[in-house]
Amino acid sequence: MPALSGELVVFGCASFLALAFALLMVVQKTPVRSVLSLIVTFFGLSVLAILLAAPFIAALQIFVYAGAILVLFLFVIMLLNLKEETADKDDRPVQRTLGLLVALALGGLLAGATLRAPVPPRGPLTGPRIPMPDEIPALGRLLFSDYLFAFEVLSLLLLVAAVGALLLSKRRFE
Amino acid sequence: MTGALPGVAPMAVPPGAFLVVATLLFAIGLAGALLKRNALSIFLSIELMLNAVNLLFLTYARMRGDLAGQMIVFFVIAVAAAEAAVGLAIFVALFRTHRTVDVDKIALLKW
Amino acid sequence: MSPALATALEGAAKIAFVWGVVLGAVLPNLIWVERRMAGLIQDRPGPNRVGPFGLLQAIADILKMFMKEDVVPMYADRLLHTIAPLILLVPAMTTFAVIPFGSSIHLFGRDIPLVIADVNIGILYVFALTSIGIYGLVLAGWASNNKFALLGGLRSSAQVISYELAMGIAAIAVFLAAGSLRLPKVVEYQASGTFLGFLPLWNCFPQALGCVIFVVSAFAETNRLPFDLPEAEAELVAGYHTEYSAFRFGMFFMAEYLNLIAASAMMATLYFGGWSLPGLHPTGILGSVISIAVFAAKTGFFIFLFIWVRWTLPRFRFDQLMNLGWKIFLPLALLNLIVTGALVLWGVV
Repeated sequence: MPALSGELVVFGCASFLALAFALLMVVQKTPVRSVLSLIVTFFGLSVLAILLAAPFIAALQIFVYAGAILVLFLFVIMLLNLKEETADKDDRPVQRTLGLLVALALGGLLAGATLRAPVPPRGPLTGPRIPMPDEIPALGRLLFSDYLFAFEVLSLLLLVAAVGALLLSKRRFE
Repeated sequence: MTGALPGVAPMAVPPGAFLVVATLLFAIGLAGALLKRNALSIFLSIELMLNAVNLLFLTYARMRGDLAGQMIVFFVIAVAAAEAAVGLAIFVALFRTHRTVDVDKIALLKW
Repeated sequence: MSPALATALEGAAKIAFVWGVVLGAVLPNLIWVERRMAGLIQDRPGPNRVGPFGLLQAIADILKMFMKEDVVPMYADRLLHTIAPLILLVPAMTTFAVIPFGSSIHLFGRDIPLVIADVNIGILYVFALTSIGIYGLVLAGWASNNKFALLGGLRSSAQVISYELAMGIAAIAVFLAAGSLRLPKVVEYQASGTFLGFLPLWNCFPQALGCVIFVVSAFAETNRLPFDLPEAEAELVAGYHTEYSAFRFGMFFMAEYLNLIAASAMMATLYFGGWSLPGLHPTGILGSVISIAVFAAKTGFFIFLFIWVRWTLPRFRFDQLMNLGWKIFLPLALLNLIVTGALVLWGVV
């Protein structure tokens, strides 16, 4: 049993928050409330990222994921005016139960497998050691040296995504 | 498995706990993706799965003492942004023709 | 006294000081100052009924907010309607945690830096909070079950997202020059030398373009005129806060003013030297107090600028607003970034 420390308390609260609101997200009927539950989940994940010595990723999680991507989701939901999830007569209870069982089984399997897996040793593709007092300059250097090609391709990908999204959602005036 | 690295203080929270949380989140996301009928809710569950994997990457990065894990998460977040933009554009286009986002009803490819 | 307890007490004292000053002294007086300045600019008296020179107007406003009937529209989503102002208010309040409001003060044998939380992600914290504030706007519009409110909420959030981008890229140049994302380091950098020999190394001189972009984007971020189309009285009733009255409206009101104060503080910190004055090197407790006063004066100047512009300029149309944000500011901010990068490379800044 690890010693009770501030970090453990914060971990407990953040992971409870993340898991509880993830469950809520799956259970909610209205898409808007699902998005809001997911935002709270992301807050919990962001705190967990800070505990894992990744403050930059934590900030990015809120700034990009919760603050931009989910806003986009919210915009689309509001513009399409999706109020309720459609619930029909053919609710398919068999399929639901099977789906639930499969998800639970897979979750248990994955948890067991990850807990048993050994941690791979540091190899040729590893980066600088963490935790360090300030890893943001190190991240920047890594981004522009080892991962430069990936970075450039990523910028191209974002451009393609932006243009694609514009074209796909354009109204055709006939 | 421990969070012990030479020369660095061990993790106050056992890393196994982070791994369990990440896999549970992944399982919840998977359940959502399998069980929901609204296409946007399925997409949200997929985003949850992506974030669970991000958490896994961060945990392993901390356990190995390796900054490259955080770099991967950076790229995953950016790619998820691009994917969300295109995916939502597809949904909008879909909604315009079908007037519904219920995936059971959008079954044109079935005979 | 154990170090942990000492740190906790320091933090609590700093939080009490900042919140006491901002919420207790600045915010109520800001309400009065805005109305009186509006009167001055528009050649009319302004509030002068409540108390001498109308100074107790803020108290009257707060009393009104508590006593009015709290109305929630019939088919509105009650939960979202209630939490939307909170989502806007809480980030506005917590932005002050990373802004350095003075140089360090030497008390009880310790050197206490006058910033509540010197996180190593610095400015990213502020941007993250701004992103969360967007939800308050959108949800307020959606939860009111009112077409005009929804339109106002969507417009407002689209505006905030667009200008957040330009503001972020303009701010990157500041951190490029300072070499760190931490706000205290930015202020120390600006206090550390001169630009071209005679000007202080404040970022507004080498990065004038970035400064202009940041200041104008701050107007758009805080939904102030000339960018207040989401609240446009003539067009959208009252935009996203149409269906809000009494205390909930009071929370929106407070959030807007807090955002204004935070934005002014950010401008003073990033571009105008924060708590430093050229040629002034504060020592001892008097020096720290002087640095707090300097910071307060600079922030006060920017608050004055916000109010002045609000009552002077007309409103932008929404398409002009988006055009400015995406087609003009974004390329100019990138240009500013490139120029600053070149200046840093050549050792000029």
